[in-house]
Amino acid sequence: MERRKFIKDSALASSLLFVPSFVKAFESVTSQQLGYKRLVIIQLAGGNDGLNTVIPFNNDIYYNARPRLAITKDIIRLNDHLGFHPSLAPLRSLFDNGEMSIINNVGYPNPVRSHFRSMDIWQTASDSNEYLQSGWLGRYLDAHGYKPYNAIEMDEQLSLAMKGEHFNGIATNDYKVLYNTAKDPFFKSVLRHYNDKHLSEHNLGYLYQTMIEARSSAKYIYEKTKVKRSQQNYPQNKFAKQLKNVAQFINSGLDTKVFYTSLGGFDTHANQPNIQKRLLTQYATSVFAFVEDLRQHKTFEDTLILTFSEFGRRVKQNAANGTDHGAANNVFIIGKKLKKAGFYNKLTSLSDLDSNGDLKYKIDFRTVYATILNRWLEADDALVLNNTYKKLSFI
Amino acid sequence: MTTKELQHLYWRAGFGIQPRTLGNMSLDRKQVVNALFENSKTMTPLDLDLSYLEGVNPRDIKKFPSLAKEIREKNTKTILKFNYAWMEHLVFPKELLRERMTLFWVNHFVCRDRNPKHMLQYNNTLRYFALGDFRDFVKAISREASMLKYLNGKQNRKLKPNENFARELMELFTLGEGHYSEKDIKESAKAFTGYNHNFEGEFVFRNLQHDYGYKTFFDRTGRYDGDAIIDMILDNKQCARFISGKVYRYFVNPIPNEHHIEAMTNVFYEDYDIENLMRFVFLSDWFYSEKNIGAKIKSPIEFLVGMANTVPIKFERKTDLLFIQKALGQQLLNPPNVAGWKGDKAWIDANTIMLRLKLPSLLLNNALISIKEYGDFNDRFKDQYIKRSKGKLPFRTLPDWDLFLENFESIENEDLSDFIVQGKVNEGTAEYLRTLSKASKRDYCVQLMSLPEYQMC
Repeated sequence: MERRKFIKDSALASSLLFVPSFVKAFESVTSQQLGYKRLVIIQLAGGNDGLNTVIPFNNDIYYNARPRLAITKDIIRLNDHLGFHPSLAPLRSLFDNGEMSIINNVGYPNPVRSHFRSMDIWQTASDSNEYLQSGWLGRYLDAHGYKPYNAIEMDEQLSLAMKGEHFNGIATNDYKVLYNTAKDPFFKSVLRHYNDKHLSEHNLGYLYQTMIEARSSAKYIYEKTKVKRSQQNYPQNKFAKQLKNVAQFINSGLDTKVFYTSLGGFDTHANQPNIQKRLLTQYATSVFAFVEDLRQHKTFEDTLILTFSEFGRRVKQNAANGTDHGAANNVFIIGKKLKKAGFYNKLTSLSDLDSNGDLKYKIDFRTVYATILNRWLEADDALVLNNTYKKLSFI
Repeated sequence: MTTKELQHLYWRAGFGIQPRTLGNMSLDRKQVVNALFENSKTMTPLDLDLSYLEGVNPRDIKKFPSLAKEIREKNTKTILKFNYAWMEHLVFPKELLRERMTLFWVNHFVCRDRNPKHMLQYNNTLRYFALGDFRDFVKAISREASMLKYLNGKQNRKLKPNENFARELMELFTLGEGHYSEKDIKESAKAFTGYNHNFEGEFVFRNLQHDYGYKTFFDRTGRYDGDAIIDMILDNKQCARFISGKVYRYFVNPIPNEHHIEAMTNVFYEDYDIENLMRFVFLSDWFYSEKNIGAKIKSPIEFLVGMANTVPIKFERKTDLLFIQKALGQQLLNPPNVAGWKGDKAWIDANTIMLRLKLPSLLLNNALISIKEYGDFNDRFKDQYIKRSKGKLPFRTLPDWDLFLENFESIENEDLSDFIVQGKVNEGTAEYLRTLSKASKRDYCVQLMSLPEYQMC
């Protein structure tokens, strides 16, 4: 796109006069759109029990380890060994159509069983003994983003995953509220008068810059989002609402590469069956509606959906009819252009466990990230992940 | 000392200062700084109601799942109360500098624990040593129950060493990356084996789990224990340099000045006395130099406590306070990881800047930031606004504007900016402020607090 046209099209056009010079310089370098491929992240917070999600229904060890908790009825068989939890029925057609890839045994060396820390590791793509203060998607933005709305989290605040060293995404669970805050007449007046002559990129200049970006992002999202009612019916819950908004943004053609959503409550130490059934139903029905919505707007082709949880759960059930924190787990990739759909790999042994009685990882989650960054987002994965990881062949 | 210098000192050693207090103060730098330390000689520990834990023992918790559940739920509630109690403790504290230092150490010896009893003890340890002997401080931290859990010290045993604490001790607490080898970590981890704690949170040394063998650390070999390792680390001047650098970036300027940091290092290395180090900083001419005033982006806690220092405020629902901390990116007792909050520019993203700009009006003025121009006495906009936003406000607060007016009585409305904002106001913005009606001190205060400039201290 031509620079002139970009300025004309961009929400900044009206406010360009007060953009400090270093912001202008910054913009001229990246005056093009990022491409049309999108990544949607679904975080299942709390540690989803992968073994009761994708069930090894032919494995005696599974039934012996979980005398009360093993799923025995209505398993949706996907091959001779593995099948979906009954609540995942809506995803069956995706699997059969080759639009879903299930990667088993994903984890990392020396797994940590604290929710908090393990989520941190997944979000920052660090080693288990390394503490990073920026997230993998944030570092992607550092390298390839030019506006906060290039990565949107469907929440009130940003996760670490979305914070870069120099650049952050934007969070909004209701883009209208964001817009209304940003258009306060006082802020408008301040920015109309503000003068960038003596401001440096450091401190105060940075604050004004971020304020301008926040306003223009809020305005961009608000004005660009088409409010046309979606034809698709979504279930009534918060998670579905997040995905519905994501679909609205994608179908409106926002220049957003990454969307971050989250569904919580998977920490099933006790009375797991009912809790997990409810959550997986929410997950599967919402994702199904989301994919259909994208399909109707012909945007599914350019969307990749990654579902992960910070860890799986112990193979053996506990006394409270639940499961404790485990290690390796499955990851779902949903998309139209998968190279290897279905099961990407076999489930690892249920007898060769680590010293805690958890599944051993076979695929480092960072190889999944590297693959997505490199093959889907066309980014420099080694730069973003601070390391070179093997690429997988699911896309 | 000029008023400006006094304000600067009080924004860094505290959370700002009110004109009323300012009026009665000595203008001699030495006297002012001495008074600051004198006031922090005592310590007021944070206190929580933990009576629900009385008579509870670990055996019963193991035996009765329902008891365990009950205790877990009460722990969670108490951690929330802990957060509120701490916030209250920070507004007009008895020992101002001690509280400020405690906040600094919280983001140095970063720890997180859902057991309120152990965490309270940890928190008060930080408070106790905040201006004390750094050597004793590090040793005390290595024995804290919460830390032994957080960095797996209690899993560190003779035949099964866990290196987590030893690594962070050097990387984050004392030396910084690149000043030790992987072998130093492995060897020093052995010295801390056997460290444990009991149910009450007291330190317990498990003899049988301690490795009494030889350890080769920093090219020396001996049967070192944990304290000996800490002594050897502190013998390295890099430790004094590492802490001085961090103190400089927190208290003086996020952009380090190697020259000043080296001067601090020389002072600190002499005896590792934190009070001496801080006194040196606050008495230095460079601390008061123009480029250091208003150079720091307030952390969310500094922002909130500073606001409450100017306009006292009560939250009708305590959960609002928690929500705000979370949305601004700094929830007390809930650091992101052992590296702590990154701080400075990392506090600010598109969401947090808009929330920060909007919060003063939301909390203090029914969400209204007046745009009334000079000479305009029409309240139509205000009335409409309040009508529109009625019942829609996200927070329920009781600001004490009367007390504000009392404390700021001696200040002309026109001069309010000098007492609300640290550092320079942008020229263009200042010009805009000049066009505004300053008939109401309250409205003008909210306007000033709604500026990017107010984020700096």
